[in-house]
Amino acid sequence: MQARYSLLFSLLLLPPAAYAGDGLLFLEAQGVAGYSSMEKAVVHHSMTAAEPMQKSSVGFDLLRKFSGASGDTGTLAVQARLAWDPDAPNRLEPQLYNAYFRAKTPAAYVWAGHSRPAAGLESYFDTHGALLQALPMYGYGFDRDWGFGASRDFDWGDAALSLTSGTGMRARGAGNYLVSARAARGVLNRDNYSAGIYGSLGKIPEIEGYKVTDGAEMPYTAAGLDGALLWDRWELRGDLRAGEKAGMHYLAGLGRLGVNLLEENRLKLEAQAVYSGMEGMEGWALACGVSLAVTPALSWRTLFEYEDAMSDKRLVTQLYYYLPI
Amino acid sequence: MKKLFLSLALLLTASAARAAVGCDLNDPDRDVARLFPGSTGYKTRYVSIKGSGGQPLLERVELRLGDKFKGLYETMDVPYTLYDIYRDKEIIGYIHGVNQKGEYGGIQVFLALDTEGVIRSFYIQKLTSRAAKDLRSKRFGAQFERLALKDFESYSPGKPVAAPLKIEAPAKAGKDFQAVLRAVKKNLILLDEFVFSKKEK
Repeated sequence: MQARYSLLFSLLLLPPAAYAGDGLLFLEAQGVAGYSSMEKAVVHHSMTAAEPMQKSSVGFDLLRKFSGASGDTGTLAVQARLAWDPDAPNRLEPQLYNAYFRAKTPAAYVWAGHSRPAAGLESYFDTHGALLQALPMYGYGFDRDWGFGASRDFDWGDAALSLTSGTGMRARGAGNYLVSARAARGVLNRDNYSAGIYGSLGKIPEIEGYKVTDGAEMPYTAAGLDGALLWDRWELRGDLRAGEKAGMHYLAGLGRLGVNLLEENRLKLEAQAVYSGMEGMEGWALACGVSLAVTPALSWRTLFEYEDAMSDKRLVTQLYYYLPI
Repeated sequence: MKKLFLSLALLLTASAARAAVGCDLNDPDRDVARLFPGSTGYKTRYVSIKGSGGQPLLERVELRLGDKFKGLYETMDVPYTLYDIYRDKEIIGYIHGVNQKGEYGGIQVFLALDTEGVIRSFYIQKLTSRAAKDLRSKRFGAQFERLALKDFESYSPGKPVAAPLKIEAPAKAGKDFQAVLRAVKKNLILLDEFVFSKKEK
């Protein structure tokens, strides 16, 4: 474990000059604390202790371009943290998010490593620093996964395909796999909307964060629709998926409305409803959040969430730094 | 180990650096081909005012712009993404984007320039305002083609009394029209500092 920490932080503290010109390196630090009515105690995580996001952490975010004599050939992305949570099985947990190489080919961008599978809102919506999370942190799908993928933008939108391990944060090869595909009309950052249709199929173990809770690979399917719309100050996002997981059918949905206020959208107010419809364990999670850009480097976020299945009311606050070096 | 964690957290929070947002093309392969027909490739590099001259450069850019840098999008360490455009192994131009405060959040304005600093294409990537359709229209964008930095010298964003060169504002553009003009001048000045001034030396 010591060797892993040493490697992580030798990367973290690399001299900035190493990335001038062909890359970017950011340092990231966050402090997370809150109160849970179910646990009747102060908590140091925004979701559960088993899920990776969000916890107090320090880490880095590296992006490096590779090029030849006539242009770019690919991109390396590495994004890692050392997270601390006294309630988690591992109090100190090295976490790897992006860890992929993406190559340019005439047909498409192709990636290998740990990146976003081609399914749902999480395939293009970055919640890496946010308290309000998408469906993967509620147990449906994967924010990142190990494997391969390809994507291509078109005039009408984009399409993506991935073949991954279906184990999320943890690499595992025990007959598990996950094939996902998504096509969307509109590119959010260009067209102010994206409406996608996607599907996933595979065999996966039961896993929470880095912990395999049941190693038996079971069939997994998902079919869904996702959408995002930006209009003036308003943001609307939704995701609805259904399928089979761990031998049970499920229906899961997310709707989120946000409004940006103050100069340069420094203040964001959001409300979110998540329906978790696993057979026999149906429930809602209703949340609202506030996010304020205090400085270009520092954001303050607070979340209040009510989960009816566990009758948990949780208030969590976060200070989040993201610093270029 | 907890001490190590806390020490690192303190180390990071004590850093004087200020974070920033870059401005990348959504899909560089497709966008470069569209903005620069005839190109065969591009090379991405990152530049910043902090790394290219620091405070004296910032002051020079502000003086040339006629306005102060301010807010979340205009700090000295903002990483700017610069695309060198290639035809085979020869550089035939540049694409560069800047973030600009608009009425409803950030606007991303990209310019494609030839090696003489003349605008070949104008492209608004991100813009959520209700005037987005008009400001992204071919008719509006075409007004910037064949202009260069010298054409904007009489325009001061600090005193937006008139548009330079009689560029016509779309009817519903409102404050975002002035924001776009400021972004174009800022973009041209930064490209001049990052690329063209260095070539002359």
